[in-house]
Amino acid sequence: MKKHYPLFVLLASLLVIALAAVAGSGRGDNDLPAPPAIGTVIDDFKLPDADGKEHSLKSLAGSKGVVVIFIATKCPVSNAYNERMEQLAKDYQAKGINVVGINSNVTEPAAEVKSHATEKGLTFAILKDEGNKIADRLGATRTPEAYVLDTSMKLLYHGRIDNSQNPANITASDLRGALDEMLAGKAVSKTGGAAFGCSIKRVS
Amino acid sequence: MRLSILSVLLVLALFAGITAPGQSNGTGAASAPEIRLIDLDGLKKLLQRDPKDARPLLVNFWASWCDGCREEFPDLVKIDDDYRTKGLNFLSVTVDEVEDKAVAAKFLVEMKASMPVVLLNVPDKEPAIHAVDVNWDGALPATFLFDAQGNVIYRHFGKIKPEELRAIIEKQVMSAK
Repeated sequence: MKKHYPLFVLLASLLVIALAAVAGSGRGDNDLPAPPAIGTVIDDFKLPDADGKEHSLKSLAGSKGVVVIFIATKCPVSNAYNERMEQLAKDYQAKGINVVGINSNVTEPAAEVKSHATEKGLTFAILKDEGNKIADRLGATRTPEAYVLDTSMKLLYHGRIDNSQNPANITASDLRGALDEMLAGKAVSKTGGAAFGCSIKRVS
Repeated sequence: MRLSILSVLLVLALFAGITAPGQSNGTGAASAPEIRLIDLDGLKKLLQRDPKDARPLLVNFWASWCDGCREEFPDLVKIDDDYRTKGLNFLSVTVDEVEDKAVAAKFLVEMKASMPVVLLNVPDKEPAIHAVDVNWDGALPATFLFDAQGNVIYRHFGKIKPEELRAIIEKQVMSAK
């Protein structure tokens, strides 16, 4: 045992360092996973729609890329963006970029997601993230929260849709700006943006 | 006749109860806290620590439209009640729009809240969010505890865990003495 003691100490130290690193990688004291850095290639994933039919993200992406937006049925901020998200989906589908909504709220079941989309006229694909696995993987914390991926699934933008819940007061359309730059083959100049939104209701 | 007097007293008692919603705990403190409007500079100033003030600063961001914020608020009122005299400086920041100030005020009355409350009145929220904590993206509710040097020593996005927060406040309050 004695001769293995230094090895034991080394392994124990490494374990402590590793645990500290994991703890420090969160964005707060909630142990929420940090979002992937801009430029990270996102692994494809599958989620069911509100009817239970599974889709991979790649299968829903457009020929030029995809926008993933975490949305909610009850969050007033997310609901304030319904018309803007629908218009965004229509405007950019024609340009080869599809919008995919994801509902990760444990408090909002698939049936509610479906009826909400019908009631609010949301025609883009909406997936149900049971157990908030994809919200965890992407480090999503609020609704609405957008991610722009190019054709190689590389993350180019992560953040707000624009800078005002009230459409009359918008002075910065960050998400559209990122999409236009991506389509123009330019580097995205503003790769994120903070805005107030409702916390995603995760499983406890 | 005796029944009539009792009825009148009962009606008066009920009326008194209805018209005094802010009367909370027999201390006489009652009306809604004043909600002061602040801009970005005002927020930064509030977060700057006075070198002479060693009290830990607890800041909670909320909005009247935010379910989680409304649900956690009673716990925050209790924390304010329990720790204010022990040396906790508590600031409540609503991010409601200015036109919803009355809604926020009504909520504070319902909550029997008496801590200082400000309304963040900025055209673009992003600089304000980053001024508080670069690790915050704006998810509400959000709660931060700053030490005397202005370092964030606790942050929580989503509803607070009261016992966890109390333990950290207790530790900070004791070490600030």
